[in-house]
Amino acid sequence: MTWTPFYLLECQLRAVGQLRVSLHRNMCNRQAQVRWRSGSRPAPLLTARPTRALIDEPISIDAHHLPSHTPITVRANLTSEDGDLWEALSHYHTDAKGALNLMRDPSMGGSYVGCEPMGLFWALQPVPGSREGLRLRKRDVETPYAVHLSLLEGFVSPEDTRGKGSEEGQELAKTVVDRWYMAPGVRRIEVRQNGVVGSMFLPPGPGPFPAVLDLWGMGGGLVEYRSALLASHGMASLALAYFGHKDIPGPLNRINVGDSYFQAAFQLLQKHPQVCEDRIAVMGLSFGVYLSLRIASQLSVKPRCVVGINGPLGSFNTFSTEDGQKESFEENQRHWSYDEQGYVSFREVSSPSNIPSENYAKVEDMCCPLLYIVGEDDMSAASLENADEIEKRLHTAGKSHLFTRLSYPGAGHLIEPPYAPNARVSLWTTRPRQLMTLWGGHLAAHAAAQKDSWQRILGFLECHLRGEK
Amino acid sequence: MIFRSYCILAQKAARVLVSGKHQLPTCIWLSLRRSASSMAVCPVLSVQPTRALVDEKFQIVVRNLHPKQEVTVHSLHHSEDKDCWEAFGHYISDENGTVTVMEDASRGGTYTGTEPMGLLWSLRPIPGSRHGLRLRKRNVLSPMVVNISVYKGHMNQGFSEEAALATVVTERWYLAPGVQRVDIREQGVKGTLFIPPGPGPFPAVLDMWGGGGGLVEYRAALLASHGYVALALEYLTPDKKRTLDIEGGYFEMAYHILQSLPQVSSDRVAVLGLSFGASVTLTLAAYSKTAKPRCCVCISGSHVQPVNKTLYEIFQLMNQSLAKARIDENNHVIWRDIILPIPTEPDLKVDVGKIKCPLLVVIAQDDQNWATVESTEDMEQIMERSGNRHLLTVLSYPDAGHLIEPPYTPHIRFSKFINQFNRAKVMMLWGGQTKPHADAQEDAWEKILLFLQKHLYQDIPPAAKL
Repeated sequence: MTWTPFYLLECQLRAVGQLRVSLHRNMCNRQAQVRWRSGSRPAPLLTARPTRALIDEPISIDAHHLPSHTPITVRANLTSEDGDLWEALSHYHTDAKGALNLMRDPSMGGSYVGCEPMGLFWALQPVPGSREGLRLRKRDVETPYAVHLSLLEGFVSPEDTRGKGSEEGQELAKTVVDRWYMAPGVRRIEVRQNGVVGSMFLPPGPGPFPAVLDLWGMGGGLVEYRSALLASHGMASLALAYFGHKDIPGPLNRINVGDSYFQAAFQLLQKHPQVCEDRIAVMGLSFGVYLSLRIASQLSVKPRCVVGINGPLGSFNTFSTEDGQKESFEENQRHWSYDEQGYVSFREVSSPSNIPSENYAKVEDMCCPLLYIVGEDDMSAASLENADEIEKRLHTAGKSHLFTRLSYPGAGHLIEPPYAPNARVSLWTTRPRQLMTLWGGHLAAHAAAQKDSWQRILGFLECHLRGEK
Repeated sequence: MIFRSYCILAQKAARVLVSGKHQLPTCIWLSLRRSASSMAVCPVLSVQPTRALVDEKFQIVVRNLHPKQEVTVHSLHHSEDKDCWEAFGHYISDENGTVTVMEDASRGGTYTGTEPMGLLWSLRPIPGSRHGLRLRKRNVLSPMVVNISVYKGHMNQGFSEEAALATVVTERWYLAPGVQRVDIREQGVKGTLFIPPGPGPFPAVLDMWGGGGGLVEYRAALLASHGYVALALEYLTPDKKRTLDIEGGYFEMAYHILQSLPQVSSDRVAVLGLSFGASVTLTLAAYSKTAKPRCCVCISGSHVQPVNKTLYEIFQLMNQSLAKARIDENNHVIWRDIILPIPTEPDLKVDVGKIKCPLLVVIAQDDQNWATVESTEDMEQIMERSGNRHLLTVLSYPDAGHLIEPPYTPHIRFSKFINQFNRAKVMMLWGGQTKPHADAQEDAWEKILLFLQKHLYQDIPPAAKL
């Protein structure tokens, strides 16, 4: 190879300076390089693996090439689909080799304390100055959350990161992880058939698959992410809308569908050529528990098992077989209670003592196993009392063997798939006025409950949907 | 029979849905035949993780089989060139009806033994494919999609006609999230830059491929996913006029562009080259007065290259030596002997005695394309005499071939090759046996990453200071 004398290269090198400028303009923000650019120390390396994981998969985060025994903040941030910024920050000390390993090292403070490998995810909170009453829920399950993980110098708090120009809080390294509700190959199918409104998620492959009918609560609409995740675990799942959805005829503030609707939904699932018709479970959260118990005990369909999370065994408003409830949800307001901040708790609406006995689901007629999950700090539903009542009725019917209870101290109402942040309070409605509702749950305890209960739910479903009866 | 025909239809529907993004209309639910009631649920196939970087391992488990059941675990990939590649292993479930690919031995198929990643590195074109294919990802912004399936019995062919028991789709990525890809067209230098997320500055790698030419991005993308700014450099194209312009200054300019980036630690730049790119690497390290890499990696390369010649002149000389090329019994071209015997004249090989930075040399003992084993022996002797032998680390892999690529890349023993200089199309023999070659790729990559980490990330003074 011939080599051009260096002085001839100089002209070309000046032009390269222009390249640097143009690259600068295109690159993302440049921070705090001065102290690192001397070449005596390279920038630290932050690694998170796997880089693209399902929402319920733990990831390992570690950092290297930091100074030893140095305070460091690890930060996660995420921009929600609504454009809100969520953040978690935790404080660590590097070890003697200048390394950090979140699987091994305890946090000294910040969004969580102790050894919490996934704390940066479940402790995400809206940044200071955000709108009130936010809840992190993915609407589009076909795209991931991109979570930005960074290392910041020193111990930084959420208020510090909003300020600029201080030495503390300079970003030293960053990495990005994608968090998915859907595994590759899972198919999302919009369902508008036989009057049934929902979204079906099918695993890849020929099947046939066991399936889950997935029901949420009086928040209404169509919530897909748990179904997407179930399909990513090899089970077909139908996320069903029944309240507050524009494609269901009738007033939006009332349940306009009855038993025949849920029967049709279950049968739709059964008839799908890739679903095993006799290996279908029903899962419900909140009011969805009542519906699940009603489906399992009073309809002619035969689910293989039921999972209920924090919900009542009865409906305050009478539920008819054909067209749902006569009254709207707001009409049970006399049982709403308010705390000193004006946040509403619906807890007493579902208290067994307030539910007319003729509105109870006939759990004693159930023939399939029931896994009932209680968050002991549930402020939205009387879950403990309902669990006791269900257990009592099954016991009386000689069916105690069907009942399994998991009870989590410190967990609130919204026991969802793991590593998602809990909302202790969130915006319920803006009409006729803004109203925040209490869900309950203390961050770390709730996170532990989500992680444990999800594993147990998957195990329960595996056992009953894939095993013999 | 009914079940079988339904299964094939459902599987075909499933295939259509997996490969294209069509929606299965809900009306089809009623017209397809229903599965038999109380039919046993199919086996459960799990692959963890479903989305991974190409150098990460996955774990494949099949559950819910009968005890001691014979099954075939199969992988299928549709390449960007629309060819189908497949691999498969024959397994027998344990007494619980479980097959764990990481722990159990395959008894036949495209790989045997306990091989967690065999379904990737033993991928080969399906019967009836075009001849001489090589699997290389062009678009690194999208993943390589591989379908993993399990079939009943021990099968060796006809997978597309048979209904799988279960299928999982996995994605294999060259690029981690947050890594930026930037086209570089500066001062005549053409390449693609990959920048990890974050403020940096980062160490960097100048990444060069060989005589196949073009702009090959995937290894640079993977290096960036490991925390290095990486510049994939193009220096050989069919454009003869462009080749005429390329000489040492081109590579120095590319190095300088990389080094000068605000995201790069200017004193932590490495050069990595494969095949002809390795020769360029050695030349840069030995002679350049401006490019001072912190360390170098040479894969399947040689120091035998005329010194003080332009690229064009080098290829002209090489073409003259092509008379020494052999053809084997399958009409595959062997270039191995072209540079043999190793010349003694100093202007015919790079004086590696002048190299002042750590050098990692990776060679394959069954390299049929270039005499890298003999070259490395000669390099060792030169460096011994010059007193810089301590800078050299050699990784030499028995039964591996020339194309030592990132791990789990399917082994290619021969493939279509277009000589960028004279545009001749030949079937080039690269060498290597599949299993040893796969082991070499996995081991070499791990050691290359450790070598780069040691010299670029860890705070070890450069050898020049010693």
